[in-house]
Amino acid sequence: MGAEGTSPTPSGPPAVRLIGVSKRYGEVQACASVDLDLHRGRVHGILGENGAGKSTLMKILIGLVLPDAGTIEIDGAPVRLASPQDAAGHGIAMVHQHFSLVDQLRVWENVALGEAGALRQGDIRARVGELSERYGLQVDPDATVGSLPVGIQQRVEIIKCLRRDPSILIFDEPTSVLTPAESAQLFDTLRQVVVAEDRAVALVSHRLDEILRVTDEVTVMRRGRVVDHTGTGSTDAASLATAMVGRGVSLRSERVARSAADRGADRGGDRVAGVGPAADDPEPAARAAGPDVLHLDRVTVRDATGLPVLDRIDLRVRPGEIVGVAGVEGNGQRPLADVLSSLLGTDDGEVRVAGVPVTTGSAGAMAAAGVAVVPEDRHDSGIVAELSVAENLWLVDIERVAPAGIVDRRAMRQRAAELVAEFEIDCPDLDVPLFSLSGGNQQRVVLARELSSNPAVLVAAQPTRGLDVGAIEYVTDRIRQAAEAGLGVLLISSEIDEILDLASRIVVISDGRIVGELAGHEADRARIGRLMAGERA
Amino acid sequence: MTADGRSLDRLSGLGGIIGLYAGCVAIALAIAGLLVEATGGSASEVFAAMIDGSIQGPGRIGATVGVATPLLLVAVGTIVSTRAGLVNLGQEGQLYLGAAFGAYAGTKLGIAGPMVLLLVLGCSVVGGALWAGVAGLLRYRRNVPEVLTTLLLVTVAAQLVGYGLKNQWLLLAPSEGRANRQQISQQLDAATRIPRITWFGNEFPISAFAAVFAAASVAAILAWTVWGLRLRMLGFNPRTAKRAGVSEERYGGLALLASGGFAGLAGGVMLAGGDFGNYTLVPGFPVMIGWTGLLVALVARQRASAAVITAIVFAGLRTGSGFLAATGVERRITNVVQGLLVLALLLPPALLVLQQRRRAMQAGGDRR
Repeated sequence: MGAEGTSPTPSGPPAVRLIGVSKRYGEVQACASVDLDLHRGRVHGILGENGAGKSTLMKILIGLVLPDAGTIEIDGAPVRLASPQDAAGHGIAMVHQHFSLVDQLRVWENVALGEAGALRQGDIRARVGELSERYGLQVDPDATVGSLPVGIQQRVEIIKCLRRDPSILIFDEPTSVLTPAESAQLFDTLRQVVVAEDRAVALVSHRLDEILRVTDEVTVMRRGRVVDHTGTGSTDAASLATAMVGRGVSLRSERVARSAADRGADRGGDRVAGVGPAADDPEPAARAAGPDVLHLDRVTVRDATGLPVLDRIDLRVRPGEIVGVAGVEGNGQRPLADVLSSLLGTDDGEVRVAGVPVTTGSAGAMAAAGVAVVPEDRHDSGIVAELSVAENLWLVDIERVAPAGIVDRRAMRQRAAELVAEFEIDCPDLDVPLFSLSGGNQQRVVLARELSSNPAVLVAAQPTRGLDVGAIEYVTDRIRQAAEAGLGVLLISSEIDEILDLASRIVVISDGRIVGELAGHEADRARIGRLMAGERA
Repeated sequence: MTADGRSLDRLSGLGGIIGLYAGCVAIALAIAGLLVEATGGSASEVFAAMIDGSIQGPGRIGATVGVATPLLLVAVGTIVSTRAGLVNLGQEGQLYLGAAFGAYAGTKLGIAGPMVLLLVLGCSVVGGALWAGVAGLLRYRRNVPEVLTTLLLVTVAAQLVGYGLKNQWLLLAPSEGRANRQQISQQLDAATRIPRITWFGNEFPISAFAAVFAAASVAAILAWTVWGLRLRMLGFNPRTAKRAGVSEERYGGLALLASGGFAGLAGGVMLAGGDFGNYTLVPGFPVMIGWTGLLVALVARQRASAAVITAIVFAGLRTGSGFLAATGVERRITNVVQGLLVLALLLPPALLVLQQRRRAMQAGGDRR
């Protein structure tokens, strides 16, 4: 989408202008030449999934993180924000997602925190009273913060922020802890702060509804880049959702270009034979026959407060079929994968693998029943970084190379060497610790282990996240080949392209519930986007 | 990184480690020397006394080995629990309770003989494991961190054994043959003691061999068995381990029991070995062996093979210090000298861990 074409440009220099701001952490490009303008009197929504780079960008704005490249201008003049004090000096303040309050102190004491010089209790109390009057943020200055409900605590946080009369305000996921009524009140305040007093506001969020309701313009970030910038009035939930989880045009074309190059090279020969037909297969579902290899029957998981994070999930995977679970992140994908990794017990419902019910939450039960998992975060539950490459290839099935409980190192290394060759894992030696490998090669180790364990079903959660283009292609091909060989695959991904590319059947998950199901050939981005945005099928 | 690069790295690493230790010890010795001289003592005399007391004096190597034996057993147990990702700080108490269980079996059952020695040692294992088991139960049933419970149970163990030493039906020796209000257990019967052998004029209990064997076995189990691999898995990444079928409760609980069992065995070996307390149990019996064993494991960087050497070094420090009183240097000063040397041994492992972490971060591998 032509960002410049649709973006509204109010008159006057922007309060804040970011030009080409980039920040890299090791392998991860958190922000890649981001341009962003904040104008006075307007609320600018910044939308994106976890890890899209929103937080890094805001940290750069309030001086917590120094960018690697790019310039920041305030009212047209370039500035350097090397510390939060610098930022505060330029009138930038932030309302943090996790409050920066001291529970044991009183409200006025918290507001006074960070002030230099003599502490004038009277002045501060008066200011707190005045601010709560003006913005309708009623709060008792003498209450102990820890004893207040979260909604009121946030008022304190906002008062603390407004006390210095900032001209530029950043709200970082402000409603994540609020009830709907509290959110509504917050947004009233926010509009008043902006419109009546001509401040510039950035609202960081991953919630479509509030972005649509409160903002004047919206910037969508994905993988550290700005993928869309538009006036809020000229967009809707479905297109924002689609932008958020990716059109990935450039990525896709790059991938196509690469596989074309591979076809030219000799090593691509067998891969084309494996991949080619599947890509054009009009009825991949026809391959899916036989009994379900995985069946989730009304699976329900509640969090500590009793709210369901998975709500009566019904899911079936048949052999040879790739079932895609699409959805905006944080809608139950993690608990779903955790249940299938034996890391989380269910409160209700049943999981059957190849027809046999499996106890949930019991160490190793899912793996023993034949559920292979490529987890969303391999560092969390996929690898043991300190153990060797060979050991990591045998983590789950170690007994197969350990007659009588003694590990047969030779058998272990021999089979590991075969897997390293087969999965083209680039490692200097089988005995080096896994953490010395690159992320892409670590992911290949996980894939090699899980696919070689002769599973009944493969659960792949965000299997290509954080990988470079070559590794993405490799992992995608492997999953497709596995399905062609008759394995049932449950692909949990927030990459719409990945799902459209691979899945023969797509279910959409929202708020822990399955809200729609589409056959692969009848699915398109717009329909999935509407479902993800919360519309019922 | 190429294979050549790595082996080169390893070589310079070994030289670097030796240099690091040498440097740290040299600095500690220099400071200690200055301190002794400044307070009017003679540094050379002090160091000569330490060498004399630990290795040079006739029979002193035997004494050092005798002290090293329980140190090594405690360290080996610590390594098992640490590898499982648990922090057991209660060895001193587990050791004490183990010794008490052993003393009860050896003196109150009215039997004696070589088989009873095995019973004594078996009971001390049970005593130590039981005490660690209390912490395990709290950890896995009530979610109380084992760091706290193991540590606090040390005090409870001391009180419990103290109670036992006040009551004749438990541990207190019969009133004949002891001073009126003395709290002491009956001496182990001669047949119930660990045999001592003499090598080149150095006498020590044969339990030293058993301790080395235990260290070798634990090293082998951790490296070569499925159980050991799973235990390490659990220690490094409990969630991956759970997914792969390692029950935290089962493996972690067993590791904690083993850890306590080894500490208890150390207590039994001290009681029946003859280097501590003259085959009797008295208040204050553990004499910091539990705490020092913890340091041994720390300095050995949780490797059972390295713990053998480290245990001997720490034992040497202890036996050597015994001779310091004879130099006329004030006790407070000699304590500082000893502390400086311990510090010098603890510093390198800490530095190495830091260096390793930095290197891993720079190596460009994907570790979080």
